[in-house]
Amino acid sequence: MIKKEIIAMLLAGGQGSRLGVLTAQVAKPAVSFGGRYRIIDFPLSNCINSGIDTVGVLTQYQPLRLNSHIGIGIPWDLDRNVGGVTVLPPYEKVGKSEWYTGTANAIYQNMAFMEHYNPDYVLILSGDHIYKMDYEVMLDYHKSHNADVSIAVMPVPQEEANRFGVVVTDDQGRICEFQEKPEHPKSNLASMGIYIFTWKALKEALEALSEQEGCDFGKHVIPYCFDKGERIVAYEFNGYWKDVGTLGSYWESNMELIDIIPEFNLYEEFWKIYTTNDMIPPQYISSGARVYRSLISDGSEIFGTVENSIIGPGVRIGEGAVVRDSIVMQGTVIRRNAVLDRTIVAENSEIGEGAVLGTGEEVPNRARPDIYSYGLAVVGENTSVPAGVKIGKNTAVTGATLPEDYPDGVLASGETLDKAGVFA
Amino acid sequence: MRAVGMILAGGNSYRMKELSNKRAIAAMPIAGSYRSIDFALSSMSNSHIQKVAVLTQYNSRSLNEHLNSSKWWNFGRKQGGLFVFPPTVTAENSYWYRGTADAIHQNLNFLRDCHEPYVVIASGDCVYKLDFNKVLEYHIAKQADVTVVCKDIPGDEDITRFGVVRMNEDGRIVQFEEKPMAATSSTISCGIYVIRRRQLIELIERSAEEGRFDFVKDVLIRYKDVRRVYGYKIDSYWSNIASVDSYYKTNMDFLKPEVRDYFFHQYPDIYTKVDDNPPAKFNPGCEVKNSLVSSGSIINGYVEDSLIFKKVFVGENCVIKNSIVMNDVYLGDNVHLENCIVESRDTIRANTYHIGEEGVKIVIESNERYVL
Repeated sequence: MIKKEIIAMLLAGGQGSRLGVLTAQVAKPAVSFGGRYRIIDFPLSNCINSGIDTVGVLTQYQPLRLNSHIGIGIPWDLDRNVGGVTVLPPYEKVGKSEWYTGTANAIYQNMAFMEHYNPDYVLILSGDHIYKMDYEVMLDYHKSHNADVSIAVMPVPQEEANRFGVVVTDDQGRICEFQEKPEHPKSNLASMGIYIFTWKALKEALEALSEQEGCDFGKHVIPYCFDKGERIVAYEFNGYWKDVGTLGSYWESNMELIDIIPEFNLYEEFWKIYTTNDMIPPQYISSGARVYRSLISDGSEIFGTVENSIIGPGVRIGEGAVVRDSIVMQGTVIRRNAVLDRTIVAENSEIGEGAVLGTGEEVPNRARPDIYSYGLAVVGENTSVPAGVKIGKNTAVTGATLPEDYPDGVLASGETLDKAGVFA
Repeated sequence: MRAVGMILAGGNSYRMKELSNKRAIAAMPIAGSYRSIDFALSSMSNSHIQKVAVLTQYNSRSLNEHLNSSKWWNFGRKQGGLFVFPPTVTAENSYWYRGTADAIHQNLNFLRDCHEPYVVIASGDCVYKLDFNKVLEYHIAKQADVTVVCKDIPGDEDITRFGVVRMNEDGRIVQFEEKPMAATSSTISCGIYVIRRRQLIELIERSAEEGRFDFVKDVLIRYKDVRRVYGYKIDSYWSNIASVDSYYKTNMDFLKPEVRDYFFHQYPDIYTKVDDNPPAKFNPGCEVKNSLVSSGSIINGYVEDSLIFKKVFVGENCVIKNSIVMNDVYLGDNVHLENCIVESRDTIRANTYHIGEEGVKIVIESNERYVL
């Protein structure tokens, strides 16, 4: 009989709507990060580096790119005879079919997958955090504390603790109180959304809560276990961990990779991050190019100026173009003399000759000021920006835009141009 | 594809000087991301050859490491695969490979057990892209016994280290000289042959009986008048890297846009073993001009007209011009390199000065590096 001590369930079905156009056509875990990676590479690499070789990836929202990225798991060595990576979309059942209505509901619907591997422990992960973590150490902690549930927590500055779910622990590490975004936090330990359950406890809780609408780990499962008096312990993690939930934090954590000695170091031999390799050739930097404080990925050809930027694989930056404080993703072309300031350009887009992005005054976005802020200009995937136009700050552009879409050749700060029709 | 592939990757050449001290020529790093043998392997894979044998002998550790999995080139299927054959001691034989024909002879069982009617033989020290299906079509159309892939080399290049051929109007090879004192033609053999499998087995067996061990001298040249040996001319990029100068020149060719476009951006791709390196990092103070930089490198200094291979660290105030820095090299601060090839996994001390004044200088310092 198949026996795995621990299996991981990776929640990758969410949209991540606060990333705006970046997640309009692709699930958040499949969004590019750090040039050549996608966000899901971090938890997947953590799994294999921690010795976890069985991972279920729960997908729901826009799974195409995620599916083709994961494939059979070759880049992460997760192509296994027994175990490996399995993509788990919602499926039709006799009588009652439903989408994944919540994080715990998604796991509940895949009970059969978990039972097949006969695990002692189940690790619950989400596909939208950037970090390196040894789950095996957390498992050891879970075992040595005889826990039913372990929650990974990290200390955050006390004054920011009110933005997180905070846990209060006793001197043994056992959690005695939960506070969700409390006004007066009693502790600075924030939950990271990473859980290890003893299989029995998880199964029992999921079955008990099977009728719960939108069953969620944070809102339902953990409180249920807590009320039942199960041993819930906090595993303190001290390292780099970033939730790239908003455009601002996404942009910022990309930029942090450029620091001379970044807090999150991808250049260490130990704990490598794996990803697909569809681009092998080296990058070319021409005589007229100027590259400064940047990360540039394989197969790119740089003829212009790149400063404080992250450039994905296979990007072409034309002569005289200037890319500053920006993120340019895989396969995008920046034509001659285009200027990008604090701009995020998603995959396979094209910025026309002499176009200027991220210029002008900072005006809050009219449609979605909660998403398009931080002074960023955001260009969606497969988008083309015509030559010579000017695009302001806190803007978003998608689709094959034409010169007539820009009155006077300008998209003013705070405006949104949605030719692809992807905005809800 | 109706052929199996054989790649001759066992040889060494004194022309490589120190560069072949630690690796077979077929494992030489090329163009930042690749190894020499990738070009033959990828061309075979892209021509849908499913079964490929690599014959290795000289210094094969580095090559074997590169060939650690057949999946990089899309081999390793149920039908076919990538086979590596070093010489072995058997009941009948206790010799090294005494020549290319002998290498094939010692592995004749591989050929006997195949069912594909043709064999493509290539060497592991050339940089090219080739659709072997086209060569095979030509081979069949000409009813040739052996087809040799040939290329015209412009007059100013020294071709006396190659096999020099002369063809008649029909394409049949009428003259074939191996490494002649003086070349009488400007057409050379690229070291790529197509031959019927049974024919190859027969010719190799006969040569072995006569104690002849070289495929070119003892098979091709001896049989060219009695068998139909044809030349298939290519005019696409092809370069042999088996001398320090040609190795240097071939790498530098990748700074030309047309060469990069041909190999990097035109379908089909060249494949190689995957290293999971992060993107290259350009720190403040760096300046890079007309150069190729590979993944995992960190650049702090000045780099011009050079190739920086994978995982290279260039220290502050370094000046690197017209140089090739191979994989995993650490250059301390203020290092000056001009016309140099820096051997892989090396550590070059800070404040050192290396200039290749008469030709290319090979820099090997073998300093120890302390890693955590």
